[in-house]
Amino acid sequence: MTNLSVSETSPLRRRVLRAAVAAAAAVCTVVACSPVSNGGSGDQPGDNQSAGQDSFGTPADPAAVKQGGKLVIALSAEPDALDPTLSRSLYSRYVFQAMCQKLYDVNEQAQVVPQLATALPTTSSDGRTVTIALRQGVRFADGTAFDSAAVKATLQRHLTNARSARKSELGPIDGVDTPDAQTVVLRLKQPFAPLLGALADRAGMVMSAKALQSLGDDFASAPVCVGPFKFAKRVPQNSIDVVKDPNYYEANKVHLEAISWRILSDASIRAANLRSGDAQVADSVSTQDVGSLRQDASLSVLQSQSLGYQGLTINIGNVDGVGTAPKPINRPLAQNAKVRQAFEHAIDRKALVGAVFNGVHTAACSPISPASPFSSPEAQNCPAHDPAKAKQLLAEAGVQTPYAVTMLASNTPDTLRLAQALQSMVKDGGFELKINPVEYSSLLDEQDRGNFELLQLGWSGRIDPDANITNFVGTGASQNVSGYSNPQLDTLLTQARQAGDVEERKKLYGQAVALLQQDDALIYLYRQRNLTAVSKQIQGLQVFPDGVIRAAFAGFTK
Amino acid sequence: MARYLLTRAWQSALTLLLSTIVVFFGVRALPGDPALALAGEDRSPEALEAIRHHYGLDQPLPLQFAQYVERMAQGDFGVSIRTGTPVSSMLTTALPVTVELAVLAILIATALGVGAGVLAAVRRGRPAEWLANGLALIGLSVPHFWLGLLAILYLSVATGLFPASGFVPILEDPVDNLHHIVLPAVILGTGLAAIIMRQTRSAMLDSLSSDYVRTAKAKGLRPRAVITRHALRNSLIVVVTVVGLQLGGLISGAVVTEQIFGLPGFGKMTIDAVFQRDYPVIQAVVLLTATAYIVINFFVDLLYSVIDPRIRVTGDPA
Repeated sequence: MTNLSVSETSPLRRRVLRAAVAAAAAVCTVVACSPVSNGGSGDQPGDNQSAGQDSFGTPADPAAVKQGGKLVIALSAEPDALDPTLSRSLYSRYVFQAMCQKLYDVNEQAQVVPQLATALPTTSSDGRTVTIALRQGVRFADGTAFDSAAVKATLQRHLTNARSARKSELGPIDGVDTPDAQTVVLRLKQPFAPLLGALADRAGMVMSAKALQSLGDDFASAPVCVGPFKFAKRVPQNSIDVVKDPNYYEANKVHLEAISWRILSDASIRAANLRSGDAQVADSVSTQDVGSLRQDASLSVLQSQSLGYQGLTINIGNVDGVGTAPKPINRPLAQNAKVRQAFEHAIDRKALVGAVFNGVHTAACSPISPASPFSSPEAQNCPAHDPAKAKQLLAEAGVQTPYAVTMLASNTPDTLRLAQALQSMVKDGGFELKINPVEYSSLLDEQDRGNFELLQLGWSGRIDPDANITNFVGTGASQNVSGYSNPQLDTLLTQARQAGDVEERKKLYGQAVALLQQDDALIYLYRQRNLTAVSKQIQGLQVFPDGVIRAAFAGFTK
Repeated sequence: MARYLLTRAWQSALTLLLSTIVVFFGVRALPGDPALALAGEDRSPEALEAIRHHYGLDQPLPLQFAQYVERMAQGDFGVSIRTGTPVSSMLTTALPVTVELAVLAILIATALGVGAGVLAAVRRGRPAEWLANGLALIGLSVPHFWLGLLAILYLSVATGLFPASGFVPILEDPVDNLHHIVLPAVILGTGLAAIIMRQTRSAMLDSLSSDYVRTAKAKGLRPRAVITRHALRNSLIVVVTVVGLQLGGLISGAVVTEQIFGLPGFGKMTIDAVFQRDYPVIQAVVLLTATAYIVINFFVDLLYSVIDPRIRVTGDPA
């Protein structure tokens, strides 16, 4: 498939599919989008970006911004505990970004760069000793010194706290040494490449040892870290306020006096607050609103392709719940990979994102984002949309058509539109899709219990590809809700996790994607764009591919 | 009177106990697991187990209930599973917001509703009645969220007269507080104003055609005195009942209004807690709402006798 044409999707029986094709065709006509279905082509720069190039925002020009002012950011969901050890939501990362710096950070190219460390870590030849040099002259918001002892106290808390969400991310750490105040040495039981990615996220946020001692498990009530801003006030389920921290080592680069995150879960209310000037930034803009917000001369929309994905998980062995040994399920979809491949061939991803998300999100066929340094042509290969082949595969599998499949999905408007578009699309491939919408908490519950045939969910994505793959498809992994197991894939993933070289890991992930597409326990559908609307009164606000809003060094335009 | 109060108190306590049981077990019968909702994307079996253990969710249900009742008896509402904040402190922040919103909404609704109702009854068959009836119909039919969105669109985004969201506590800045809360209160009050208007109108029509009003008129009292001192006073009994019953409805209406205007009140807290399966918060909120209903009904009954001395409270409330 070199471009989308009506003949490839005929016969068009449903209005939704007609709308899908029309919208996608319109998008393609305007921006001449290229397909993802040709193996390898997806790796080209600019590919998968039919709605325009990414725009991450630019750093503020100190001469053009005022000093002071309170920035109000309308957030779509409430952050959970403001404790780097316990935090589990994307939204707390927005707040942490302003007040809890990390050993490493991520740049626009999704590469890891030093933040509280002075350079990338040095790893011993056997891959088991990682040495990190720390910045000097840095103080926490409570005035205490930032040193290797604080890093050690933080990492030990991550590793030993019973409710820690960081323990597994830190991998096989055996111990933490502090040869001097500015050096931390991590000893590993075996090499662990994803460690760097973890230290560029919450696991790398260093907490004040004094605050940890006095607050213990209540650290979230008054978190103390190193950052441009320090915690001021939280009104649960409503707002979080931080104020400029005079102790910050580069306080002269901080222009704002305060930042307030206000939780407004409705997208149109967030947009209204932005337009009325009550908020200057709104996250998670709906793809339905992007057009009108872009036309507003007082606003700009930042967009970056996320590192995560949205996909379909097929239950092929989750009978007794996630984490238990897979058991056979007596359904052709679970037992025969050909039926699953047929389902994948029945899906026209481009038309799907065109119709449902106005072409803003992009089609995806693998867990590795093209924005990731670990992407390769093999990792971006995409099985073609081919309803005829789908029918042929179903015939080979010996199942009667239309083959009925029930899909469990979240009951949000966006997901329901996606489900309906899918429903009409896979019909041409010989499937009869039934939609079973449930509310999000119930969906998670059913998913983990294995009470589903097919389900739609996604993953927000992490910097290191291992964190986007192994946990979901590795044998017995904690989020392998499909009950999928392929020893060959497990070996590849273990090798990739222990390899120090980017090129070698790239190659291994390319091979892993090929295996994933052969077994099709997880069918990747699309990759969301992080959409953030910003008032033009604000300069220097940035959003990188990790999806985190970087507001700490922004300022109001003079 | 004392016997009546005692009976009502006993009944209220029983209702509260039943509500506690229904809420506790009802919330747990919902599909969805708070540990899963909290663990979100980063969940692992160990983390889930640790969360369940930390919040006592791994204990048998009867034991959890016994512990809950014991804590409640000591005034301890527990800790929010989502944010780790004590529920009592969440309530003390959220409750004043909702109370202020509800009280303001009811004042606005009563002023508008009673005024329009009396006007419609007195000016029966004239344009004033049609207008009042038309407005009441709109007030009843248009949902809060739609009205709220329109208000934000025209009064916040387009004209900038009112803030689109946010809240300032009354003790911090009373003027700013009023500026933030007046629009949501008006929106919340519209439905109630319409109901009050209709009830007042029909009660007034009844009163105006009754013998005592005719007598009052025959005595030569001025029309204003006839309307306010005789007809309205008797009509108010209906209005008070309606206002009392609707006060509970206001709390559910506040859920939507607070969500739209981003007010950190009870309603917003409830919605978020339900979605996150934050059991301690849901339990506390429902129990407080139940208590509010019981107390309001109690006072409404007492108010009857104040407004109309012919109604006497006896030991048998039925």
